[in-house]
Amino acid sequence: MASILILKRRITAAQNVSKTTKAMQMIAASKMKRAQDATLASRPYVQSLTALSAQLAKYTGSDETSHPYLKQRSLTNKTLVIVLSPDKGLCGGLITNLLREFLRYGKTQQNVAFITVGKKLEMQVTHQKKEIIASFVFGNTTPTFDMVFPVTRIIENYYLSGKVDNVKIIGTHFTSIFTQTPKITTILPLQVPQEEKEEAKNPYIFEPDQKTLMTPLLNHYLEMAVYQHFLESFVSEQAARMISMQNATDNANSIIEDLKLEYNKTRQAKITNEILDITGANTM
Amino acid sequence: MTFSFEIITPEKIVFKEEVNEVIVPTASGQITILPHHINLLTQIAEGEIIVKNGAKEQYLAVTGGFLEVSKNKVSLLADYAVRSEEIEIAKAEAAQKRAEKLMQEKVSERDFAIAETEFKRSLLELKVASRRRRKL
Repeated sequence: MASILILKRRITAAQNVSKTTKAMQMIAASKMKRAQDATLASRPYVQSLTALSAQLAKYTGSDETSHPYLKQRSLTNKTLVIVLSPDKGLCGGLITNLLREFLRYGKTQQNVAFITVGKKLEMQVTHQKKEIIASFVFGNTTPTFDMVFPVTRIIENYYLSGKVDNVKIIGTHFTSIFTQTPKITTILPLQVPQEEKEEAKNPYIFEPDQKTLMTPLLNHYLEMAVYQHFLESFVSEQAARMISMQNATDNANSIIEDLKLEYNKTRQAKITNEILDITGANTM
Repeated sequence: MTFSFEIITPEKIVFKEEVNEVIVPTASGQITILPHHINLLTQIAEGEIIVKNGAKEQYLAVTGGFLEVSKNKVSLLADYAVRSEEIEIAKAEAAQKRAEKLMQEKVSERDFAIAETEFKRSLLELKVASRRRRKL
């Protein structure tokens, strides 16, 4: 009798869990769809923009008058790292993977300052007692372009004033719905592809001239590159959450099935016992 | 003779074709690009792009960006670009009115800037769209 009640209670609990995870899965799925469109659509743009900016670096990289964004330098040897992570958990192995990458990086580098976006890794960075310049929340809607400006302003400040020599981003790269890989990318100074350096034969004409062109182009590059990482990280988070919630729903459903079977068996056994009791009593 | 011309915006690849001639508005004036143009890097001003392919002419509205010519390949990275046949006149007119109204109201500097951009964009779209209609 008692065990039947307990089984019933456990079935209800599992059903509630399944309902909740199902809802979370649907929310993540709808958010992911929109973010995925935005991310995949802007990828070619950012890639071409990066290539274009690198092209510029190829011609002016060693030049004294060149823009600081294009120059490899070592004034302080300090690195500014932007850490992108979700605000909330329940997204499978995403955060763990991200954390592993972060810790591996933190072990090899000492002279690092951080900007954190998203609460999950912010806690870790604080825990490690690292230098945090600023922290932002990541939010749970598709990142808007406005979110980028406070971050890029800090990057600009630190980089142009010579406080840091490198700017890197740790985020998650969205490969597919099932695979998201944590990745560290160097944003500044711009990386010039090595093999292309050789064939810098055809000169470029710059209109109106190199200098006026450089600043808006490089600023735009910085903003778009950071924004793309925001998008990638967001869509990865949603995809990971969708998959992990789907697994959770499946698990809950299989538990419900097992429990129901057990419940029915117990109920049947109880009825059989009662009938046995009655027939037993009659024959006496 | 042709060259490949593509317009890429953060939203999508708006245009990708082999063309004969392209006229674009740059920061220092309108330029025409013909096949085997010398390598060039320039900033695009807002305005109208005319693409000629044989006898066919296509019009696009663009709000700014960067243009790169390299090895007979022209790519334009635009903030926003739209083909003239995709411009919805009614929508653009409505956007223009809405932006105009917003600009007249006392709004914050940031909102004003957004409204102004919207206003300029719809104005440009209408211009490009009306030009196409006259041609037809």
